[in-house]
Amino acid sequence: MTVHHHPPDELLAMFAAGTLDLGQHIGVATHLVGCPKCRAVVRAMEHVGGAMLTGLPPTAMSDGALEAMERRLDETSRTSIPERRRGPAFRDVPGLPDFLNSYPDSPWRWIAPKVHLRPIRLPEPSATRVFLLKSSPGTRMIEHTHTGLEMTCVLSGSFVHAGGHFGPGDFDFGDGSVDHDVRINSTEDCICLVAMQGDLKLNGMIGRLLQPLIRM
Amino acid sequence: MLSETPDNETSDAARWARLIEAVAVRRDREAFAALFRHFAPRIKTFMKRSGASEQLADELAQEALFAVWSKASLFDPGSAGAAAWIFTIARNLRIDALRRQKRTPTSDTSETELEFQRDEGPLPDAGVAASEIEARVRDALSALPDEQMRVIELSFFHETAHAEIAKMLDIPLGTVKSRLRLAMARLRSLLDDFS
Ligand SMILES: [Zn+2]
Repeated sequence: MTVHHHPPDELLAMFAAGTLDLGQHIGVATHLVGCPKCRAVVRAMEHVGGAMLTGLPPTAMSDGALEAMERRLDETSRTSIPERRRGPAFRDVPGLPDFLNSYPDSPWRWIAPKVHLRPIRLPEPSATRVFLLKSSPGTRMIEHTHTGLEMTCVLSGSFVHAGGHFGPGDFDFGDGSVDHDVRINSTEDCICLVAMQGDLKLNGMIGRLLQPLIRM
Repeated sequence: MLSETPDNETSDAARWARLIEAVAVRRDREAFAALFRHFAPRIKTFMKRSGASEQLADELAQEALFAVWSKASLFDPGSAGAAAWIFTIARNLRIDALRRQKRTPTSDTSETELEFQRDEGPLPDAGVAASEIEARVRDALSALPDEQMRVIELSFFHETAHAEIAKMLDIPLGTVKSRLRLAMARLRSLLDDFS
């Protein structure tokens, strides 16, 4: 897989710093699954984080903190990383980060002719909505971006718009300023993960969610 | 033997890595104490700067060092940077702490760690070993001028506003922005040989 469109470096730095909200984190993490280049940038940023940490002025720990810790170590044998139960949730969709498989599964829903949507329900409130979007070959739509940031990661298939051709692994980043005329140009379904910032109600109808996003 | 003031960055990094390895292999208490004395007070500062109270910051710093103890065997001294590794532990704990304020009490906070799990093992498409990537990352970072490194650090890890950085470094706002752009572009080009 050759990746041609990457997230802006600022997003990768914020990912490494741990300052993205969960929805945006998922958007970037999905790109990282297929992009060693960006994984290296994130690693580099984590090293910057390490340098930042060692460069901080120390704040004295509470009295007896080390001694209390040592007592705690006496009581603890080597702890292994807890193995979490992973559901099959999104295993049928290739290219997603593994941690999504612990989220509740959800079915594909028809939202427009030749377009299906599958929400990814986050375990915490996030300003960013995340969902999978599946469009059949030849589908055209107006991608009407939102007021906020929007990330689109191609998982399979491809689409094309004025900004270029987007295939598996590619990351399309919109800041809400451009409307694109999007056309699915693969012979198979095009499945994307979309992380969209927006001020939409959690209990809103899925149709209402998508109405401003897609107009056939 | 376990001096508290190592002389330069390289020996520093190598020394932390040795200490973590000693904890992993021999459950070395003295090595752990040295790590604790160096990192816990700095993690505490990190947490306080992220908005944690004195007490919470203290607890989180202790949690971080406990994680260093229990996960030491997952640290690969040949590849990952020790400080970077400990930073990721502190970062994840910080995210967990922020989430505990938001989520239902039953939610599982070890999730954060999984969310950042990504580059385990060799990268299939690149065919490059993790240790080679780490070496490349370190080279790239050391090739980055200090002033550019500093802007990245302030901007993303201290979440300092660009205007504030300009004031701190006594440079024009435009210079902050261009320095940041330059730094990131340079870093990427230094790392670019991967895929
Ligand atoms: Zn990339």
